[in-house]
Amino acid sequence: MTLVAEKKREHRPPAGVPARASRHPLRAEFRRGFAPWAGLALLLTLAVALAASSAQWQGGWAETRERLHTTAQLLGVPLALAAGCWQGGRERRRRTEELMATAVRGGLARFLAAALPVVCWVVAGYAVAAALAMLATGLYATGDRPDLVAPVTDAVALASGALAGHALGRLLPWRLTAPLLAVAGYVVLGVVAYDSRGPLRHLSPIGYASDTDVPVWWQPPAMTVWTGGLAAAVVLAYAARRRFTALLPLAAATAAGALLVQTGEGLWHTNPAAGRQVCDTSTTPQICVNGRYEELLPQVTDALSGLTGRLDGVQNLPVRFTDLPGEPGPDEAHLPMITPLGWSVVRGRLTDPQQFAWEAGQALYGRIECDEAVGPRVAAVDDAVVHYLAPSPAERRFDELAAEGDAAARAELRDRLDARARLKAMGDEERRAWLSEYFASAGTCDPSEVPAL
Amino acid sequence: MTTSGLLLYARSRTLPRTVAALAATAALAVWAAHGLDAYLDPSRRVPVVALAPLAASALIGASLYSASDELDRTAVRPWWRRRLVHLLALTALAAALLPWAVLGHTSSFGPPAMIRNTLGCVGLTAASAVLLGARLSWLPVFAYVSAVYVAAAGVDGGSVPAWAWLMQPAGERGAWLVALVAFAAGTVLYLLRGARAEGTRD
Repeated sequence: MTLVAEKKREHRPPAGVPARASRHPLRAEFRRGFAPWAGLALLLTLAVALAASSAQWQGGWAETRERLHTTAQLLGVPLALAAGCWQGGRERRRRTEELMATAVRGGLARFLAAALPVVCWVVAGYAVAAALAMLATGLYATGDRPDLVAPVTDAVALASGALAGHALGRLLPWRLTAPLLAVAGYVVLGVVAYDSRGPLRHLSPIGYASDTDVPVWWQPPAMTVWTGGLAAAVVLAYAARRRFTALLPLAAATAAGALLVQTGEGLWHTNPAAGRQVCDTSTTPQICVNGRYEELLPQVTDALSGLTGRLDGVQNLPVRFTDLPGEPGPDEAHLPMITPLGWSVVRGRLTDPQQFAWEAGQALYGRIECDEAVGPRVAAVDDAVVHYLAPSPAERRFDELAAEGDAAARAELRDRLDARARLKAMGDEERRAWLSEYFASAGTCDPSEVPAL
Repeated sequence: MTTSGLLLYARSRTLPRTVAALAATAALAVWAAHGLDAYLDPSRRVPVVALAPLAASALIGASLYSASDELDRTAVRPWWRRRLVHLLALTALAAALLPWAVLGHTSSFGPPAMIRNTLGCVGLTAASAVLLGARLSWLPVFAYVSAVYVAAAGVDGGSVPAWAWLMQPAGERGAWLVALVAFAAGTVLYLLRGARAEGTRD
């Protein structure tokens, strides 16, 4: 029985056909050896780096693009260089250089057969990391849209790094070439990204990382030609039968690089979505949220509902809370900061609506630019207004500290508590009139113009 | 005979070249740290404090490779003493040279932090050499260090010293504990098993 069963499991190829004839030789190159491990290492590296800081990018498409791009370039390119370099030294390590040299295929075909598996696995590792990052943001996105061009540019840069590393690995027969190349790549990219102010920084694949700026439409193709052209030139110069063909990609890369350097700061412009805002005009003041986070408007309106409800009917207020880059207009107040993500907004949710409302109340009056302190009376009035509109979550703690402090601190606390009580005790009409008078003096530094309480 | 045996061992592990490369790494670290202007803000030294031990550990890890591994394993004498001396001597050399790049600021990112990171990185590399082979021992450590370097920026929390020990100031006890455990575990693993046999495989 056993013999019969074993016979059935045996797979016999058709007569006259050698076993496994249908399998392409590259199949083994792709499935075995170092290449899958290189892809896995890149995926894990990017995943760990992205996951640890997920609160700072998840939910914002621009933040996701910027973080994914920076991480892929800063960590991925050195790793791709080193992985390619390691693979490039494979024939030397297993002492098959002479055997491979006798193959029928030309040098370029042999080079690509050994290099492409690492290139493809590295790109695959990056693609999985990018897909996971985009999925993570897609679940919590509150506006804007994903950028699918930047990942393609990153993938080309990673593939170029792996190809160039492969050529270097064949050229430099030293077992430390790969790790030192990785460290050198990391240092060079890091220095160019964070310390360089010269025009050459536009040649770095990291470029200018920003949440609010986006590149002009031709910057990604130009960067692709720059990085891909350099790698193609290195490969052709090393492995092609007609080495002068390397001049063609080198010329293309040089032209793209010159274009990037010459354009300089003009490569970047403000994200159109960041230049518009969506508003709820039913409240006083109106509430506007930047277009990049337009779906946050209901949450923000809800968080500020207590404050706007108490301001209903009050005069001399700013027309709206705005959320655009730059200073607000003369009749506007700045909405508390939504960005950078990870503080007041995490994964599409306001982390502390009470704190957000308090910050919005603070934005309605401004004596920060006064040359001198406005004095304890005005400070007590300001405190009473903020307490009435939207008290700070830390207010009780500060009051307790003042109560435990010296005589001056306790006296100031008494004044503040009295002012809060007087404002609360007013009738609705009286309070609206008083608040209207107060907000007429909201920006003054002259204590005599601030109404008494 | 013993002396010549040790000399042969040192040459077979390319130790002279490794020592020269460690000295060059330390010189490069001194040069790089000098350009960081970290007099007022010691945290500007973090790139050097993280990357120099990484490079040194890659050098030490590569030196663990033996071109005649199968022959070595037939030897009568136990290998653990040579392995111990080999690893400790190179680690001590790296720990003695690299801190010269970051003198001062001992409680934050000065010599103690550099020594801690050197110990931790060498421990991880030794463990990688046992699992993957000496010549590829740099890969997991490079991936880990670079990922942590980016991930730890701006992240706070109770578990951060455990996984981002490289980026912690020298006064952080948890980071020291993790680095020392990594060094001890990697060393013991290497002493017991040696680097994974590679032969002529890829």
